[in-house]
Amino acid sequence: MSGSQAAHAAVDLSVKLGRLELAYPTLMGSGCYGSGEEFAAFADPAKIGGVVLKSVTQRPRLGNRAPRLVATPSGMLNAIGLQNPGIDWYLEHDLAERVPRPWKTIGSVAGFSVDEYAYVTQRLAARPEIDAIELNVSCPNVAAEGETFACDPKLTGRVVRLVRDTTEKTLIVKLSPNVTDIAAVAREAEDAGADALAVINTVRGMAIDVGTWRPRLGNVTGGLSGPAIRPIAVLAVYEVARAVKIPIVGQGGIETVTDALEFFLAGATAVSIGTANFIDPRIPERIVEGLRAYLGERGLLSIGQIVGQANRGFAGAHRCEGREG
Amino acid sequence: MLTNQMPAAVHATTVLDRTEPAPGIVLLGFYAPELAAVTRPGQFLMAIPPGGERTATALGIYEAQDRRVAVLFSVCGPRTRELAGLRAGDRLEVTAPLGNGFDLSGSPRDVAVVAGGIGIASLLLPAQALIASSARVRLYYGARSAALLVERDRFAAEGCEIHCATDDGSYGRRGFVSGLLAGAEPRPDLVLACGPTPMLRATAAACSALGVPAQLSLEETFACGVGGCWGCVVPIDRNSAQAPRFPGPDKGGSDTVNARVCKEGPVFWAHELRW
Ligand SMILES: Cc1cc2nc3c(=O)[nH]c(=O)nc-3n(C[C@H](O)[C@H](O)[C@H](O)COP(=O)(O)O)c2cc1C
Ligand code: FES
Repeated sequence: MSGSQAAHAAVDLSVKLGRLELAYPTLMGSGCYGSGEEFAAFADPAKIGGVVLKSVTQRPRLGNRAPRLVATPSGMLNAIGLQNPGIDWYLEHDLAERVPRPWKTIGSVAGFSVDEYAYVTQRLAARPEIDAIELNVSCPNVAAEGETFACDPKLTGRVVRLVRDTTEKTLIVKLSPNVTDIAAVAREAEDAGADALAVINTVRGMAIDVGTWRPRLGNVTGGLSGPAIRPIAVLAVYEVARAVKIPIVGQGGIETVTDALEFFLAGATAVSIGTANFIDPRIPERIVEGLRAYLGERGLLSIGQIVGQANRGFAGAHRCEGREG
Repeated sequence: MLTNQMPAAVHATTVLDRTEPAPGIVLLGFYAPELAAVTRPGQFLMAIPPGGERTATALGIYEAQDRRVAVLFSVCGPRTRELAGLRAGDRLEVTAPLGNGFDLSGSPRDVAVVAGGIGIASLLLPAQALIASSARVRLYYGARSAALLVERDRFAAEGCEIHCATDDGSYGRRGFVSGLLAGAEPRPDLVLACGPTPMLRATAAACSALGVPAQLSLEETFACGVGGCWGCVVPIDRNSAQAPRFPGPDKGGSDTVNARVCKEGPVFWAHELRW
């Protein structure tokens, strides 16, 4: 091993989200990585920090009508509509038949009432296969007018407080970018007991077929993901990082190590990779190798050393209120 | 449908040949010995974009023989344009073979293979397999105009009888291929079809009128192509052997369930679709 390789190997990429310890700061985004098994043959499972499973609800859901996907410039729209078998079947089959893997497994919970979130979390978190819980309070494809729990700081606080009582495991709350002040929602989630925040879920969007004059998604509206939303996501992480002390899982259009670094520098402790897995499932492991090299070349010993560095020295700057009118 | 037995893998291949059988339609052959050996009729691949941007492109496997695999596609957007730019010697990675292919197990003796436009790309392998088992194979092939009826000589050379239709009447009968199929004499024992959704619906209707079972290879937008995102669904009969195991929905007592075109399909029995 050459000297520089040895230095790279010594770089510490492990991170903690509450009690959840990850060997690598990379999660696979909910809904983009199935149960993990769909992709395990094409990726190196030993180089993945964690997999966030597809969101599950109390009752089975058929999901939205087709078409559910539209390719758009630098990204895609999806409107899956939380198709899932419901928590009973999910625990009995999907989870029980799971192949053990070296990555950490994060269960994702969705719901339509505060009680549903608490009920599903309690049942899912009770299982030893689940290492942590992500609360998807921000799916734009099921609620009327895209109005989700994460659009309302007070409602977010209520859900998180109730769910917090049901488990000791790490609780990650996934925020929506479809709000005026994401920092306010983040603060409520932190006060209510969240261990970490996932920033961001998809951005609401729409595409229209000019031949048929109809919306191109069966659900009319969808959620935009991929590089198209990356600058929106980086800003959201930057703002949330100033507002809270708990760790952030940054996501939105990460395809390369450079993209991931932007999120760490904006204040993310870990990142999540979703849509990029549809390009090539080996992208997450390339990002891990890229992080190791980037830190090694700069003589840095751990990923934690760069978290939030873009926030340094700018406290309070660039706020609209501060501008002269 | 025959379920996929060979696990899919990422194959690193080298482009061997590239031709344009018609303007905007590309035939790309590449060296992939292992893939050529395991591909079954009706399966597809995901081409990993050489530039590393955009999501992977799902393409039906056109040929798989003697260490060479080929895809036949029309250039209809940035992703296919990028693939169309590949030349002999270029490298291309593909994830394959994916999906469940055509079920040719019932020893059909007289099969109609129905293609709408570039849907022809998924039909050479089943036609070859059927001819190898001494079945009669008639190709019913529709396209917008004569120039787009690509590869029909190839199907003839394989031993298919060819019946064509064009929208503008520039070759064969004027009109849709489903109309041509409706007049098939004698009636085939089985229909295999691939093409755009309206053409498949019309084919399904013609087959149900003829009383002939049909297997349709569906066209749908894919993201992952491997069953991980539930983005590519079609409603099917809950009792179908292809229905994903799934409990009943909440309300409505529905007897349909959403199956993934990339995982449970892309080939489905027409009578089991609830679209
Ligand atoms: C097809 C698809 C399905 C998704 N399903 C879910 C889901 O079930 N639950 C959830 O919390 N987020 C879901 N998401 C959002 C992603 O997890 C991720 O937060 C978002 O796509 C932004 O990251 P990306 O640009 O890397 O994909 C989905 C995204 C896509 C593209
Ligand atoms: S394209 Fe992802 S499940 Fe079919």
